[in-house]
Amino acid sequence: MNALTIIFYIMAVLMVVFSIMAVTSRKLLRAAIYLLFVLIGVAVFYLAVDYMFLAAVQVVVYMGGILVLIIFSILLTSHLGERLQVVKPTTMLFAAVLSLVSAGVVISVINGFTFITSTFEGDKLTVAHIGQQLLSYDQFGYVLPFEVISILLLAAMIAAIAIAKYKHQGKS
Amino acid sequence: MDKEALILFFLSAIAIVGIGMLLSWLVAPKSKNIQKKEAYECGIPTVGSSYMQFRVGYYLFAIIFLIFDVETVFIFPWAVVMKSMGMTAFIEIIIFFGILGLGLLYAWKKNALRWD
Amino acid sequence: MSFSDFLLMRNELLLVAAAVIILIADMSFSDENKRGLYNISLLTMIIITVLGFLPAPSGKLFGGMYITGDIYILMKNILNIATVIVLLQSRGWLEKPGQQKRMGEFILLLVSVLIGMSYMISSGHFIMFYLGMELATIPLAALAAYELNKSKSAEAGIKLILLAAFSSGILLFGTSLIYAAAGTLYFEGVMAILDSTAFTTLGLILFFAGLGFKISLVPFHLWTADVYEGAPTNVTSFLSVASKGAAVFILVIILNTVFKSLNDVWDPMVYALIIITITIGNLFALRQRNIKRFLAFSSIAQAGFIMLGVINDGGLGMATVIYFVLVYVFSNLAAFGVAAAIENETGKESIDDYNGFYRTNPRLSLVMMLAMFSLAGIPPFAGFFGKFFLFTAAAEKGYYILTLIAVLNTIISLYYYLLVIKAMFIDKNGAPIGYFKSDTAMQVSLVICILGIIVTGFTSGVFDYMVNLSQQFFLTLQ
Repeated sequence: MNALTIIFYIMAVLMVVFSIMAVTSRKLLRAAIYLLFVLIGVAVFYLAVDYMFLAAVQVVVYMGGILVLIIFSILLTSHLGERLQVVKPTTMLFAAVLSLVSAGVVISVINGFTFITSTFEGDKLTVAHIGQQLLSYDQFGYVLPFEVISILLLAAMIAAIAIAKYKHQGKS
Repeated sequence: MDKEALILFFLSAIAIVGIGMLLSWLVAPKSKNIQKKEAYECGIPTVGSSYMQFRVGYYLFAIIFLIFDVETVFIFPWAVVMKSMGMTAFIEIIIFFGILGLGLLYAWKKNALRWD
Repeated sequence: MSFSDFLLMRNELLLVAAAVIILIADMSFSDENKRGLYNISLLTMIIITVLGFLPAPSGKLFGGMYITGDIYILMKNILNIATVIVLLQSRGWLEKPGQQKRMGEFILLLVSVLIGMSYMISSGHFIMFYLGMELATIPLAALAAYELNKSKSAEAGIKLILLAAFSSGILLFGTSLIYAAAGTLYFEGVMAILDSTAFTTLGLILFFAGLGFKISLVPFHLWTADVYEGAPTNVTSFLSVASKGAAVFILVIILNTVFKSLNDVWDPMVYALIIITITIGNLFALRQRNIKRFLAFSSIAQAGFIMLGVINDGGLGMATVIYFVLVYVFSNLAAFGVAAAIENETGKESIDDYNGFYRTNPRLSLVMMLAMFSLAGIPPFAGFFGKFFLFTAAAEKGYYILTLIAVLNTIISLYYYLLVIKAMFIDKNGAPIGYFKSDTAMQVSLVICILGIIVTGFTSGVFDYMVNLSQQFFLTLQ
C-alpha cells in the first residue's frame, strides 16, 4: 500500500460523500458547491494516473467554467432562498431500490470481466502526444471531431443567444 | 514529475484551511442572541431574503466565456505541436478559429456582448 | 490525402457552408425585415437537397472516422427533404411581427442540427457518433424553448435538455464498456473484436437505451408528449420526423455493423420493445384531445412499427426502415403542417376545435385526411406499403406472433386516426374555425407532402432502389 493508494481511497470516500450531499442538499447553491468538491476529486484522480493535461482541463473548464455557469443559472432562479421540496418517502424508497439494484448489476458484471492491461504507460502521455493525435488526419487521428467541436460550440453560442438575449413580453 | 507531492499539496491545502476553521470554531467564544443575527445593529429590521435574482445577462456572458474557455483547452495541444506539424496544423486551427470567430462576430452583432 | 477526398463529405461541407452563409446573411439584414434572409436560407437548403441526389463517391475518410456510401447519402437526402419541408412550413410563423428578428437563430439552429445528424449517420467512430448526436440534440433543446412568451415552451426545452443529458450519460457509459471490451472505438475494429459476454451485453443495453431515448421507444418515451406539446409546432414536427429518423438510421447501421455478433442479444430486446412501444403508444394516443400530444403518442407507436424493420438484420430490413421513414416524413409533416397552419391562424390546438373544419376549410381537411390515412396505413397510400413492407420484413425472420400483434395494433391505431377525420368531416360545430388562407410556403410544403405520400406509394421503383442499396451495403460488410 503506497501513498497513492491511500490518497485514492481518501479521495474516493470524500467524493462519494460529497456526491450524496450534492444530490440530497435542499439548498441549490450548497448543492453546487458540493459538486465543486466532487470535481476537485476527479482532478486529483487524473493527477494520480499522470494525466496532467486532463487534470488542468478539469480545473480550467469544469471548476472555472461550468461550475460558474451552474451557479449563475441557480442565481437566475426566482425562488433562490427557499428550500427544495422534500421528496415523498415512497418515491425515495423506489429510487433507492432501483439505484441499488442497477448498481449491483453493473458492479457484478464489471467485476466478472477481466480487463486487458494497457501497454501504454500513462506518464508518457505528454501534451505533444495529445496535440499530434488531435491534429492528425490518418488513422487514430482526431482532426474531424476537433473541427466538428467548433461547430458544436458555435451552435451552443447561437442557442444561448436565441434563448437568453431577448426579453420576453409578459406571461401567458 | 512527482505527482504524490502535488496531490499531497492539494490535500494539505484543504487540511490547513479545514483545521483552521475547525480550530476557530472550537476556540472562539460564542454568543447567541437574536440581535446578532440581524444584518444591521441599528435601523429598521430587514425584510425577506438577502438573495436576489440575477439578470439573464450574467448567464449569457458566462456561457460565451465558457465556450472560449473550451477553445483555449484545444489551443494548448496545438501550440505544442505547431512547429513540428507545420502547415496542416496551421490550416486546421485556422478553420477552428474561423468558425468560432464567426460565432463571436455573431454574438457581437446581435448585441449579446452589450450590457443593457 | 488530397482535396478530392473531401468530396466524400459533400453533404456536410455544403451544410457547413450554408450555415456560414446564413450566419453572415443574418448579420447583414436589419432586425425589422428578415424576409431576404428567409429566402436565402431556403434557396441554399433547396440547392443542397438537390445536389444530394447527384451521384457521390463512397469510401472512408480520416482512417475510418467518417464513412459514406450510397445508402448513407440516401438517408441524408431524406433528412434534407424533411428540413426543407419544415423550413417551408415555419415561414408564416417566423415572419410574424415580433418574431422576425429572431428568425436567423431559428434557421441556424435547424441547420446545425442537420449537420449533427449528417455526421452522426456517417460516423465510423464512437467519438464522432457521440459528437454528432450532441450536435443534433443541444440546438434542438434551444429550439424547443424558442417561444419566450410561453412557459410550456421553456418547460419543453428544459425537459428535453435534462433527459437528453441523462440519456447521453447512459450511452457514454455503455460506450466506455464496449471500449473496455474491444480496446478500440472505431466501428470496424469493434465489429471485428466484440463477442457476446455479459459485459458487452451490458454495454449494448446501455448504448441502446441512449438511442432509444432519441427514438422515444417506450421505457424511454416519457419526455415525448410534454416536449411535443410545449415546443413550437414547427419544432415538434422536425423533432418527430428528422430527429427520430436520424436516430433510427444510425441505430440500424450500428446494430448491423458494430453489434452484429451480439445479434442474439438485441433480437429479443427489440422484440419486447416493439410490443410495449406499439401498445402503450396506441393506448395513450386513444385518449389525447390535444392534437400535438395526440401526434406525439402516434409517433411513439410509429417508432415501434419502425423497429419491426430493425429486427430483420438483412437488406430487406434496412430498406423497409428507410422506406418507412421516408413515408413517415411526408405523412407526419402533412399532419403537422395542417396543425401548424391552424395554430398559427387561431391558436387552437385541441381536436375538439377541429369539429366542422371541413365546411370552412375543405382543402386543409383533405390534406389532414390523406395524412391520417397514410399514418394509419390505409391502402393505396404510401403508409400502407410502408407498414406492409415492415410486416414482411418481420415475418421473413419468422416473427409471426410479433407481426400479428403489430397488425392488431394497426387496427387500434386506425380508430384514433379516424377520430380526427370524424371531427373534421362529420362532427357538427356551432362555431367552427373560420375560413383562412395559409401562406404560399405552407401550401407548397403541403403539396410536396401529398405528392410524396402518393408518389412513394404508387411507384415501386423507390422501394426497389432502397432494397438494392441496402443489399449492396450488406455485401460490402463481408
